[in-house]
Amino acid sequence: MKREVVIIGAGPAGLAAAIEATKNGCQVLLVDENRTAGGQFFKQLHKFFGSQAHSAGIRGFEIGKQLLKETEELGVEVWLESSVIGIFAGKRVAVLRNGITETVEAQSILICTGGAENPLRFPGWTYPGVMGAGAAQTMVNVNRVLPGKRILMIGSGNVGVIVAYQLLQAGADVVGIVEGMPRIGAYGVHAAKLKRAGVPFFIGHTIAEARGSDRVEEAVIARFENGQILKGTERKIDVDTICVAVGLRPLSELAQMAGVKHGFIPELGGFMPIHNTDMETSVEGIYVAGDTAGVEEASTAMDEGRLAAVSVSCALGHLNRADAEQKKEEIRDRLASLRQGPFGERRMNAKNRVIEMGVTM
Amino acid sequence: MSQIYDIAVIGAGSIGTSCAYYNAKKGADVILIDAGDIADSTSSRSDGNILVCDKQPGFDALFAKASQDMFPGLEKELDYNIEWTQKGSLYLTETEEEFEIASRFCSDMKQCGIEMRMLDHKEVLEDEPYLAKDIYGGLETISDGSVYPIGLAYAFALAAERLGAVLSLHNPVVDLKKEENYFSISCENGTILAKNVVNACGVRAPLIGKMAGLDIPIRARQGQILVSEQTFRVARRKVHEFGYMLTKFQSGDYERPVSERVKRNEVAFVFEPTASNNFLIGSSRSFVGEDIRSEIDVMQALAERAIRFFPVIAGIKVIRAYSGLRPFTPDHMPIVSGTAIPGFYIAAGHEGDGIGLSPITGKCMADIIAGEETFMDLSPLSFERFSN
Repeated sequence: MKREVVIIGAGPAGLAAAIEATKNGCQVLLVDENRTAGGQFFKQLHKFFGSQAHSAGIRGFEIGKQLLKETEELGVEVWLESSVIGIFAGKRVAVLRNGITETVEAQSILICTGGAENPLRFPGWTYPGVMGAGAAQTMVNVNRVLPGKRILMIGSGNVGVIVAYQLLQAGADVVGIVEGMPRIGAYGVHAAKLKRAGVPFFIGHTIAEARGSDRVEEAVIARFENGQILKGTERKIDVDTICVAVGLRPLSELAQMAGVKHGFIPELGGFMPIHNTDMETSVEGIYVAGDTAGVEEASTAMDEGRLAAVSVSCALGHLNRADAEQKKEEIRDRLASLRQGPFGERRMNAKNRVIEMGVTM
Repeated sequence: MSQIYDIAVIGAGSIGTSCAYYNAKKGADVILIDAGDIADSTSSRSDGNILVCDKQPGFDALFAKASQDMFPGLEKELDYNIEWTQKGSLYLTETEEEFEIASRFCSDMKQCGIEMRMLDHKEVLEDEPYLAKDIYGGLETISDGSVYPIGLAYAFALAAERLGAVLSLHNPVVDLKKEENYFSISCENGTILAKNVVNACGVRAPLIGKMAGLDIPIRARQGQILVSEQTFRVARRKVHEFGYMLTKFQSGDYERPVSERVKRNEVAFVFEPTASNNFLIGSSRSFVGEDIRSEIDVMQALAERAIRFFPVIAGIKVIRAYSGLRPFTPDHMPIVSGTAIPGFYIAAGHEGDGIGLSPITGKCMADIIAGEETFMDLSPLSFERFSN
């Protein structure tokens, strides 16, 4: 089976890319291993930031619905519950679908498989009741199940703080937010809501241990300085759930398998595929976008997806060079505007380093 | 003037480490050189089967048996857990015709002193209850066993080091020159001098050969392997299809009743249980240079063939796939011999038998260099046989 473009992952980047590429005339196959497309969108009940062009003020799941609708209207071919098990020589994508492995030969492949939560190891981390914040968010926002009644959040970045607030809204008692750094990580607007709700922030603290008989019943937290737990500062908190939100890393196994050059960029999640300003990797015809191309946000993911799609459309002859360059510049400008401010600038600098590393092996 | 070693062994796979060990055991000053680490290439990508069942009656079988007979004592001698087990092996025959060929093979091998016996339909299903119910029969080889191949190479290398051998790892050889009484081996980290050189570089042996002006006819024959999840005991020991013999040697008129996909990838079913309750599935053959990327078409053919013999495998997950390169020679026999260049020896080209043949290869190479008589006439392994 042959398709011009295979897009792996139907989250923000993949959906935006599928729409853009289809509009430009590409024959697109969008593959996702989940039951529904949309990636993390349908877990995101909060409003997005950015400019008008980035659907600012609209809640994540609403943006997801819009993209899905557009995908349907354009008649994009979407394979759900289909796992890509590998990328093989000759840009062949092996997809496990309905128990059968189908091999799709593509001219271009866009990998937007997103990110994965980092684990945090501490005594008791394998107890039932200790989970990633993303898992808790899926439970509460997608499956409408409360993961616990007394919840401790580890990590005060945007994910930790937003999920904590949503758990609070759903009726759980968030007993605290533990942050190893001496400051709160999240955007002020998100952190402030928790502050006003009376949730304590334990900054300069870490989790020392989770205790319990057959599931977590108690968390021990302690002061944390220079990467060390300070003895004698331990404090016990009754909990039934501990959520871990200590960052994400790019999911890049497929890019690795395809032989894509990687680099280590801590600000973007660590080991990641290197790409150029067109989102193309060191392997010609293989592109990355979204968290796979360095962990950022859904807004940047969507624009990276569009940028990759424009590059692919041009490479496959569906867009002339001049039109493509103009579109790319518009998207790059939007991406630059998303990477402003104290948080964005750090990511912008990191992205510039990615570009400087270059895609020649 | 720097030290002149008695022997420089180039290549730290199972063959090179064994050559280093047995030469050091004879008291020689040995240096073992490798571009990378111990067991970096073929030895870390092969299965651990120590077989006589897949050898041809005659010299091939006797040489392999001599090597196999060394394994029971190796663990103690080398003071290293190489996970040696000796449960025998089982060939499966799919058709009456295959069973007939296997029976003739069995009687020829018995004449060479290899202990084998035919199993009929009922016996073979009793032996491995998860087998497909239509398997025609089997052939059991009593003495076959299995080791942990990476462990074996480490065992030899570390034992050699204890005997005084020097390990020069991560030190690629870039050139080699014959001086009057010794070889000057230019490596990335400096020059090494040695009176004798053993080229044990497996698929890379031709590169080292070229430096010495020798044309070594070894090619990389790629093989792929699937690794299962940890699971129940699907089969208790090494099981493979008798058709494996036919694909390995690319001989005979017999055509297996297999799909196009199995045929084009030269896939023959090989099953090997591991000590940690996973199992490995092989085997495929292709000449694709030094490409060791997995290929989905081969992976599917391997799985298809495995399920044909053990239908229960359809419900078991594959967790990994990898491939390696067998050092293939045109007549499927290794080169274990000297060359026209005095002091330059070759121990390479063992195709899929390098792990199993490593002890005897190292031992013979030590005898040859010392000018002693080998346990049998090794002319079938001479480099000279390719000179025409």
